[in-house]
Amino acid sequence: MKLDIVKNKFIFLALSAILLIPGIAAMIYSMITYDTHTPVRVGIDYTGGTTLQYGVKEEISNNKLAAVRSGLEEAGLENPSLQIINVNSAEDSDLKAILSIRTKFIEEGSDDQAKVTSVVDSQFEAPELVQVASVGPTLGQELFKNSLIALSLALLGIVAYLTFRFQFDYALAAILGLVHDTIFVLGVFSILGLYYGVQIDALFVTALLTVIGFSVHDTIVVFDRVRENLKYYSKKMTFGEIMNASINQTLARSINTSLTTLITLAALYFFGGVTTKDFVLAMILGIAIGTYSSIFFCSSLIEIWEDKKTPARV
Amino acid sequence: MKNKLIMFWAIVLIVIASIVTICVKPTKLGLDLVGGSRLVLEAAPTNGIVTPDMMSSLQFAIENRVNKLGVSETVVQRSGDKRLVVEIPDVSDLDQAKAYLGETAELEFKKPIMISDVEAWGETGLTGKDLAKANLTTNSQNGQWVVGLEFNGEGAKKFADLTKELVGKPMAIFFNGELQSAPRVNEPITGGSAVITGGDSGFSYDEAKKMVDLLNAGALPVPAKIIEENTVGPTLGADSIAKSKIAGAIGLGFVMLFMIAYYRAPGIIADIALIIYGLILFALFKAIPVTLTLAGIAGFILSVGMAVDANILIFERTKEELKAGRTLFTAINSGFDRAFTSIFDSNMTTIITCVILYSLGTSIVKGFALTLAIGVIVSMFSAITVTKNFMHLVFGTGQLKHPEWFGLRADEIGEGFKAVETQREKAKFGILD
Repeated sequence: MKLDIVKNKFIFLALSAILLIPGIAAMIYSMITYDTHTPVRVGIDYTGGTTLQYGVKEEISNNKLAAVRSGLEEAGLENPSLQIINVNSAEDSDLKAILSIRTKFIEEGSDDQAKVTSVVDSQFEAPELVQVASVGPTLGQELFKNSLIALSLALLGIVAYLTFRFQFDYALAAILGLVHDTIFVLGVFSILGLYYGVQIDALFVTALLTVIGFSVHDTIVVFDRVRENLKYYSKKMTFGEIMNASINQTLARSINTSLTTLITLAALYFFGGVTTKDFVLAMILGIAIGTYSSIFFCSSLIEIWEDKKTPARV
Repeated sequence: MKNKLIMFWAIVLIVIASIVTICVKPTKLGLDLVGGSRLVLEAAPTNGIVTPDMMSSLQFAIENRVNKLGVSETVVQRSGDKRLVVEIPDVSDLDQAKAYLGETAELEFKKPIMISDVEAWGETGLTGKDLAKANLTTNSQNGQWVVGLEFNGEGAKKFADLTKELVGKPMAIFFNGELQSAPRVNEPITGGSAVITGGDSGFSYDEAKKMVDLLNAGALPVPAKIIEENTVGPTLGADSIAKSKIAGAIGLGFVMLFMIAYYRAPGIIADIALIIYGLILFALFKAIPVTLTLAGIAGFILSVGMAVDANILIFERTKEELKAGRTLFTAINSGFDRAFTSIFDSNMTTIITCVILYSLGTSIVKGFALTLAIGVIVSMFSAITVTKNFMHLVFGTGQLKHPEWFGLRADEIGEGFKAVETQREKAKFGILD
């Protein structure tokens, strides 16, 4: 199989647009409709709040969920956000599902937690409090700021390194590829947030950063090959031909690497614990799109630039 | 060849050392895996200024309190300028523990002053910090529970000066901002001890006992608030461990099968290298020690992906060299050399990301970044030394006689993308043909 990226570059750029547009639309819609005005539904890590998770020994029906919600509202807890997490317990424990209840930040010494527990107790047989996460409101803002700083610094660090090892326009193409991948993953999570109430947390940002690292891996492998081939063939072949040859030479590696990583991630997604499901999903999406972007998107960009300045290249 | 054998035995030694480490050292598992609580406390002094000294004594006081919970392996760590991270594994009554931790024990002695003609209580500089210890006793006159205080050297002097100053006037004792009693000072007290009675109503046993415990545990020098909590019940933790193990085993199994199916003989070598990689990494985690959390395990699995990537890069290049008709020895060498820049550059970007995550992230993110960074560094070692060494030992030198070992067809050989190389480049890759 031989891919002709150069000839079809505009098709690939259009395909990227098609992949990104639904997510971007969902993000804009979310920014308008959510109270937080964020493009994705953000969890307590970033807004502050308390999440109480109760493990129960039965499937949670919608009726029970509604009963818990009204019970909480009667107890004076406003706008609780409820989510069901299905568990297929691996060990002999009879945990069937987890009911996750998110409320405003419960201060020390407040009896709100006891109120929630008594509401859940009244609906289920012997529920077990399996997880409590609580983040103060000011801390949430701080974490959000830190995550944005971390993300920007990581991008800057990568640009600096690539400029040092390659040249600035390669670095720019790589970064545009990363932005492409980040928007795609954020977009999918924005859609998931709208339909299934999926929230992003600190782990999600970790997943994004990992995806960035991985995607840059792929892009570097292609660029490294272009750099090497340029040394030998720049007099005989056009830049477009070299680009095509380099992509085809690295194609097997790019696909095999992503495939092996996706195999492990898929195993984690289907057989791993419930707490890391969204984290793993973000990485699966990101690594798949990262492979696509480094083969098709970044190389198309570079080719278009190099094409414009062809006479200068020897 | 002799060097290769020395290298081989060095690798064997490292593997043995790793296995011994794995058997001897315990694994440190994070609270999200074993169950437990992680609390973040923030110092919240009334004037808003937090000094490093204040934090040291706050840490000391919190450590004392945590130790009184009677749970083993608790951790109290500083985090940033004004925060403490407290980790308590498997506590039976968390609510009580939380209440106990956050409870302040601010003991203050105050004197009457006049602020614009209004009588008020003013600071005296004598506080709970000047205490040597507190004890629970009863008042010999009426049998009520009282809290006995013993001052340290400096405290005794301050107390003597204060009582001398206040003869004939009342002296107020505040505990956590609440007035306990304000007895009249009849004469200077120089013995360095005092009692707090509960005023007219007196203390109940529980009230007095709690005050003594709090004072002895070390007064929190500043009030502290719990601003973050993460508690995982033991059931969920056990479930996560069990599932991660299964998922890891299945994922790794499939990757190994894939490597053999696609790369054949080198695939088997890569699988062996991968097992060695896993052993070294796990031994390092235990030796350092790195606390394994769910995010840490994810970082570990991801680094396995990157270790496999290094092998794939190398094999793809080696196959290309073989297709170009090179001998086994040169093909393997130049495959490694040419793949190296890609491996190095891509791993460097991962390490850059990890450093940033580690320095800015929360503890979950830190665990992830640390395991990933260690994993990436070990993976470079394993790909460059272990895989290369085994490839040379297994395939030796000479022409490739069995192309199917590499998943190649005989008719593909010699048709490859032929590089027009300068003599210098050839020499660099050790190409002699």
